[in-house]
This record gives sequence, structure tokens and C-alpha cells, in this order.
Amino acid sequence: SSSMNKYIFILGMVLLFHAAYSAAQHRSYLRLTEQEFTSLPADIVLQTIFSLLLTVFGVTMIAGEFKEIRSNIDLQKKTWKNLNNRPSFYTFNHRGHIFNP
Amino acid sequence: MEKQYKHWEDVRDLLRNWREENCRQSEDVVDLWNEVLANHFGKLGDEGWLVLEQVFIAALDCHNMEVANFCLSKLNQEFPDSLRVKRLKAMKYEASEKYEHALDILDLIIKKDETNAASRKRKVTIYKSQGMIIEAIKELTDYLRIFMADQEAWMELCDLYISQQEWNKAAFCVEELLLHSPFNHLYLQRYAEIKYTQGGYENLEVARSYYSQAAKLNPKNVRALYGLMLTSVHMASNSKCPSQKKKESIKLSEWATNQLSQLQDSNDSKLFSSQILEGMGNLQIGNDSKN
Repeated sequence: SSSMNKYIFILGMVLLFHAAYSAAQHRSYLRLTEQEFTSLPADIVLQTIFSLLLTVFGVTMIAGEFKEIRSNIDLQKKTWKNLNNRPSFYTFNHRGHIFNP
Repeated sequence: MEKQYKHWEDVRDLLRNWREENCRQSEDVVDLWNEVLANHFGKLGDEGWLVLEQVFIAALDCHNMEVANFCLSKLNQEFPDSLRVKRLKAMKYEASEKYEHALDILDLIIKKDETNAASRKRKVTIYKSQGMIIEAIKELTDYLRIFMADQEAWMELCDLYISQQEWNKAAFCVEELLLHSPFNHLYLQRYAEIKYTQGGYENLEVARSYYSQAAKLNPKNVRALYGLMLTSVHMASNSKCPSQKKKESIKLSEWATNQLSQLQDSNDSKLFSSQILEGMGNLQIGNDSKN
């Protein structure tokens, strides 16, 4: 994964923690000034959502290649030649040893 | 040969790929080992032991006992008390046709470790190599009573039953496999082939439905298309078939024929020519006696 995705992920996590800290600070401010808590200020909410999206994007890019969701597409590439091979049951009394005495 | 200039990391990745895909290209494995990896063995690290095992088995396939003995001695050096290495030694005796020695070693392993699945499977293989198919089947059914989820073993049992022409039991084995992977068009096709071989109108119906499912999952599966075409044609010409099903069957056979001719005309002609031989093997000559 490129370092750009790592930076995006780190930025997203930092912003998330910052939003959580400011929300906690806001609530303690309301407690000190004896105001009722109705809802968080809009900028904290926006920052939380934005940093969440950033983090999720960073993690999925770091995680690697996506796998195909349709189960049969993966199997279409397989052939009977290899699927039929059972390594635990390989026998050795075939004609192979005549070719290499 | 260009293989001589292949970088050892490419060879290592290729061998890993073959290990995962269960490819049995023994001559290539031994050649690649001799030319490239034998000189770079130290760099492989922990994967080196897996590579040694793979080369060992490939060497036994080619009956190249030098390479096999070299690999085995190296493995024995590193893992002196390992049951896995003992099993490889039993395989070597098996390749030299010293079946009693091999059976002794395997019995020892099983006594030491009751849960060792691989050694029990080697016992089945020894019976199979000696041609004692019935004992092999008995041993394998006992094994499957203990280790019921082993897909490889079910496939092997299916093949053993097919060689004994016990179609119902073989169909049962493929049903177990289908439970594990219902989207695998190859298992569906296999089941359909067994039903088709059994013959009779009801089995043909079942075969046709499984062939169509396989063709639905993978429209490029030439064997399934051929099977679909043949079963629908046989069903349509059968006297037991009601007229509605007859029309259905004829439509299906036409669709299958169209798909086949499309595949033939398309650019994947290499794909088609190797599979056409497989498809030819699937054709059956006159099975109307079971009406």
C-alpha cells in the first residue's frame, strides 16, 4: 500500500480523536456553566463524520486487493485438471519411472 | 532453455503457486530445483522446508531417487523426530514398492498419534497402488467415519466407487462435496455425469438439471454444455417424456448447441480445443437399454 493511504488513515484517526476530545471538552464546559446538554455543536458532528469516512477509506486501501463478490467467478478459472488432484493420495506406481530410470 | 535464466525468487513464487493450486507438474518441479533453487536453498528460509517436501514428492513421481534421498536427508537433519518426515519416508518405500515397510512405518505413526489424518490416507493409497481396491474402500470409509469433513477423501472415495461401478455410492460422495461447495460448477458437472452414466429416465432428468446449473454458473464449461445437449436430446427422444418436457428439452439442447458453436467461433479457440477432447470423453453411445 502506498504511503499516501497510510497518511490518510493516520490523519483520519487524529481528526477522530480530536473530535472526541472536543466533544468531551464541550460537555464539561456545559457542566461548569450549568447549561443543559441538548446536542453537540454542528462542527464537531461534521468533523466526526468526515474523519470516520477518511479512516474507513484509508483502512480499505491499506487492506489490499478486493476479492470478487460473486462466488462462481472465482471458480470459473479452476479446471478439473487441478481440482481433481488429491496430494494426500498421490500414487507412484505409474509409468513415470520408465521415462527416468 | 529460458528457465536457466529465471531469477530464484520467481521460481520460488511459481512453486508456491503450484503448491496452492495442487498442480502435479513433477518434471518441471525437479528441473527447476536442479537448475535454480538447489543453489539458493539457504535464502528460502522457512519456506524452504515446504519446497523440499514438494520437490521430494515430485522426485518420487519422476523416480529420481537421488534428488528424493537428498531432500529426505536434509529434512531428517532439521526435524529428526518429526512424524511428517516419517510419513515422507513411508512414501519413499511406497515408491520403491516396499509396501510392508511403508505400512509398518504408517502403523507406528498412527499408534503414536491417533489424530494423524495424513498417515491414514497414505495407508489407503498403499492399498490402491497394490490394486486392492476393496480394502482401500473399506479403509477409506473407516477414515471418513472419523474425519467427516475431509473433502479430498470424499473425492477419492467417489473415484474408487466409480472404478467399481457403484454409481449410487459415488453419487452419495459427490453429494457430500456439493454440501461443502454448492457453487462449484465442476462438482455439479461430476454429479450430473454419474447420474447420466446410471441411465434411465429419472436419472436423466436429474442429470439434466445439474448440467444446466453447472452451465448457468460457468457458461464456458464445455463438458457441462455437451452434457446438457446430450441429456436433453436423450430425454426428448424417450417415450416416457411428456410433451411439455419434450419442448423444454429441445429448447435446452438448442441453447447448448448455440453456446458451443459460439465458443468454437470465439477467440478462445485454444480453450475449446483442449476441452473438446474432454467433452468427447463424456459422450455416451446408445444407453437406451435401461428404458
